Amino acid sequence: MKILTVKELYQTMKEEFALTLITHPSTMEKTISTKYLHRPGLAFAGHIVRFSYQRIQILGETEISFIRSLDQNLLYERFKEIASYDIPGFIITKGLSVPEHMEYIADDMKIPIFTTPMGTDKFMNELRKYLNDFFAPSKTIHGTFVDIFGQGILLTGKSGIGKSECALELVERGHRLITDDAVKIKLRSDSLIGSSTNEYGHFMEVRGVGLIDVEKMFGIQAVRKEKSLDIQVELMPWRDTMDYERLGLRDNQVDILGEKVPIIYLPISPGKNVSVIIEVISMNHILKMYGYDASKVYTQRLQQDLQKKAKIRNANYEEKG
Amino acid sequence: MIRRKVQIKNELGIHARPATMIVKTATKYRSDLRIIKDDMEINGKSIMGVMTLAAEHNSELELVADGIDEQYLMDELTELFETKFGEE
Repeated sequence: MKILTVKELYQTMKEEFALTLITHPSTMEKTISTKYLHRPGLAFAGHIVRFSYQRIQILGETEISFIRSLDQNLLYERFKEIASYDIPGFIITKGLSVPEHMEYIADDMKIPIFTTPMGTDKFMNELRKYLNDFFAPSKTIHGTFVDIFGQGILLTGKSGIGKSECALELVERGHRLITDDAVKIKLRSDSLIGSSTNEYGHFMEVRGVGLIDVEKMFGIQAVRKEKSLDIQVELMPWRDTMDYERLGLRDNQVDILGEKVPIIYLPISPGKNVSVIIEVISMNHILKMYGYDASKVYTQRLQQDLQKKAKIRNANYEEKG
Repeated sequence: MIRRKVQIKNELGIHARPATMIVKTATKYRSDLRIIKDDMEINGKSIMGVMTLAAEHNSELELVADGIDEQYLMDELTELFETKFGEE
């Protein structure tokens, strides 16, 4: 399980969320272990059973107006009890504030309190997006990730088989590179998103040449930051014994982070233009998504033809017989 | 070189599945395979070729195997036709 420190959340999002820390800086040592948020209205009302204390606590206008309506001593007791839980932190929206002694207790219990001028709903949506992304299951796959006609294609295969060279050729044909060599795959609400593992830019190693900067060389239209993963293409040396797909009636799939991804085992041999085949794979996939499966159409037509011919032949038999 | 005539005994004829079986068998061997139907002659290692024959039930094909392992290829192929490709 991944852990997000409050400090990291603050450092990365303070500008976007316009966060201000109102407690002591040392309170930021807390960690966040879940992507869910909680509005602790009921806890402040005294119902602390099943209190989701491990989540970030959001105090909106409703909570603040309730807190402010409470008797000072009662609020003091309640908040002391609430703060006795290991809460990652409070965030107050709409630029509101809490009574000062709440801040003292928070300081004491080492629980951070932030404020943001953003509206509660908008802020919670944005924060959820960030947390979802941070806590999303992810893995890194050795391969090259390209966008071909809007389809995210992950090229895999042994080192030196020519993934980078293939991607280079595709970029030259007007397609876009997401990343070369190591692809970070994230599961974002049922879809897989691939991106680079770092923020250095779109570099690539070409054997015998060294590193090249694809963005600098081919321009901004040749690259993109992330893309949904649609198909995996495994490049492999041609082997006579391997049982390659001939008609495409059977759909092979691999499991990536629990999602099924179509995979194509593509045999390559010298003189074979792999990039053109990758384009064809992408277009064929688009056609299939639109409901047109060439191999099914062809074999259906063949079957109809066979039936018709068989009928005529068997009728002729009977006449003769 | 060996030539042999076979008849299509399965009711559906040489549709996608039997065509795939023929091609997979043929590509296992080094010998060349030609298949002749009426005035058509195709390469037995090509899936599109075999399907192009559109060989229906009860039609007749001529198999021509040529190469060092032609006998084995021919025997295995004949067996496929005899057993109706595992179909009706």
